[in-house]
Amino acid sequence: MIFIMAWRNIWRNKMRSIVIMLSIAIGLFAGIAVLALYKGMMKSRIRTTIDAEAGHIQVHDVNFKKDYEPKFTIVNGERVLNDIRKLPGVKTAAPRSVTKGMLATTTGSAGVQINGIIPEQEYEASQLKQKIIEGKVFDSAKKNEVMIGKKLANKMKLKTGSKLVLTFTDTSGSIVSGAFRVAAIYQSANAPLDERNVYVTMHDMNALLTTGNTFHEIVLLLKNDEDVPAVKQQLLQRFPAYKIESWKEISPETDLLVKTTDQLSYILMTIIMFALAFGIINTMLMAILERTREIGMMVALGTNKVKIFLLVLLETIFLTLAGTPVGILIGWLATNYYSKHGLDLSGMGKEMMSSFGYSTVIYPEFPADKFLGVMLIVFITAILSCLFPAIKALRLKPVEALQGLP
Amino acid sequence: MPGLSSLRGETERGAAVIDAHNISKVYNSKTIPVYAVNNVHLHLERGEFTALVGPSGSGKTTLLNMIGGLDKPDEGNIIINGVDITKLSANELIDFRLRNIGFVFQSFNLIPVLTAKENVEFIMQLQKMNREERNKRVIKLFKEIGLEDKLNVRPSKLSGGQQQRVAVARALASKPQFILADEPTANLDSASASNLLDIMALLNKEENITFLFSTHDQRVIDRARRVITLVDGRIAKDTAEVNTNILHTSLSETN
Repeated sequence: MIFIMAWRNIWRNKMRSIVIMLSIAIGLFAGIAVLALYKGMMKSRIRTTIDAEAGHIQVHDVNFKKDYEPKFTIVNGERVLNDIRKLPGVKTAAPRSVTKGMLATTTGSAGVQINGIIPEQEYEASQLKQKIIEGKVFDSAKKNEVMIGKKLANKMKLKTGSKLVLTFTDTSGSIVSGAFRVAAIYQSANAPLDERNVYVTMHDMNALLTTGNTFHEIVLLLKNDEDVPAVKQQLLQRFPAYKIESWKEISPETDLLVKTTDQLSYILMTIIMFALAFGIINTMLMAILERTREIGMMVALGTNKVKIFLLVLLETIFLTLAGTPVGILIGWLATNYYSKHGLDLSGMGKEMMSSFGYSTVIYPEFPADKFLGVMLIVFITAILSCLFPAIKALRLKPVEALQGLP
Repeated sequence: MPGLSSLRGETERGAAVIDAHNISKVYNSKTIPVYAVNNVHLHLERGEFTALVGPSGSGKTTLLNMIGGLDKPDEGNIIINGVDITKLSANELIDFRLRNIGFVFQSFNLIPVLTAKENVEFIMQLQKMNREERNKRVIKLFKEIGLEDKLNVRPSKLSGGQQQRVAVARALASKPQFILADEPTANLDSASASNLLDIMALLNKEENITFLFSTHDQRVIDRARRVITLVDGRIAKDTAEVNTNILHTSLSETN
């Protein structure tokens, strides 16, 4: 009977209940939209990190990453590379020679990471070819060509065809320099990375480094993202002398960002629900005060405090949960639409988005994994919102309440 | 202090249902004390049909509230079926009221979201009566109040008289020791009031249900077999005592 009463009670003042249900639906939709957007952004960020920056896994000599000293090349690199390519689950693997150095032009200089690549293999591993916005890919007939990022090009006022000098130390510690001509300017979704990385052919770089046919880094792309821990484990067993790192270790900031954003999205959801809770409290308080005489009568007739509390709790839960399916449905429909068509956020500033390493077109994804969490937040909101009105109802004295005194 | 399970007492026919000793209720006790009820003794037996009358402010409702366990006296004891309800905690009182006392209020006070049947059933559900027993009793009660055809109608679709009859059925639902009715006919037209009084008189006569009314209504006073008049919180007149005195007088004259 208490269930029936609670359900019918919320429809006593239809307009008031519908307004609060709609606000819950809109709040929930807003929460889901934010979660979906965050999820889309994080997925896109992880995708960029894996596909265009770090790959799934990287292999280095154990000492290499301490100071990026060129002498720490991967011993038996070619054999290791071939073995890795044969592993099931590995989509592609590409070698890189890597060093830190200085890029200088007639107008200035900048510290950069110089990546010596085998173009055809690198195009597959890091989508470098797709990122080119000006100029052409490396010409095998030409020597000392370089690809630079757009942000660096703007900063150093470089264009395709411009000349620049790259300076770094070779394996013996001597400073070496080489003059390079800009073959292409690329742009990725991560502007800070574009500013720091330049690409030359491994052949040109190794000639300056005096490292012959060796290299410092193997970048792996796997067929499935989920295989990272398994393949990493396999590599660790097979090549215990090398440093094997997954993208989470190579780019800890991305992993941290994903985790922080997860927490942030829950905090946002809680804030939205916290704001809604005041609306629910207000509605329930009005409902209780309007029914002072009725509640007084119920207590007079022998309804105990547990049942009165249950009545208020159920009314609050019904009121809260009635708006929930609508909010979830709108959220799901909107997310579904934008997950197919993409949400263009370039209006917010393409530069700003890429400076944080995000693509401007986000494909939001319905946060199904957070569904239980969201429902829990909604449910807790309902329970917390009912407490104040319920205490008010429990404190009513039947004699006073029967006279309509709150 | 009795356990909740023992709070429902059974009263033999003619035995005391209500025994109030020296009860007083004082308001503004810290400044100028105003006695709403002043040192009242009241003894009600099973099967009585009693009206509590008096001018406004004479303490009728306060006395009724205290007897009904809705309010506590500042002094004195109220014994109902052997249980001193002034010693019960708030929670024990709720359970005591549920099992022993039926209420009929001036403004009907039915739950508007429940149908007439559900309003009556609600009390039986609180008493944890099973569905079969509930259904039987609901049908019996609605027959008695003459509203068998209004079982599934909400209070807003019933007339004042019909609502008050449902309220009487609700008061009877828990099989109480007695029914307290606070101005039950005040909001009713003559025909409805008369009809309601007929039903209550019949229940009193046939089922020996004890009624205590607080009222201004002459129609109720005329039907009551005992009339207690309150003035300034004191019993100014009690026809039971008058009748007893007359009986005593006539007996001594005969002797």
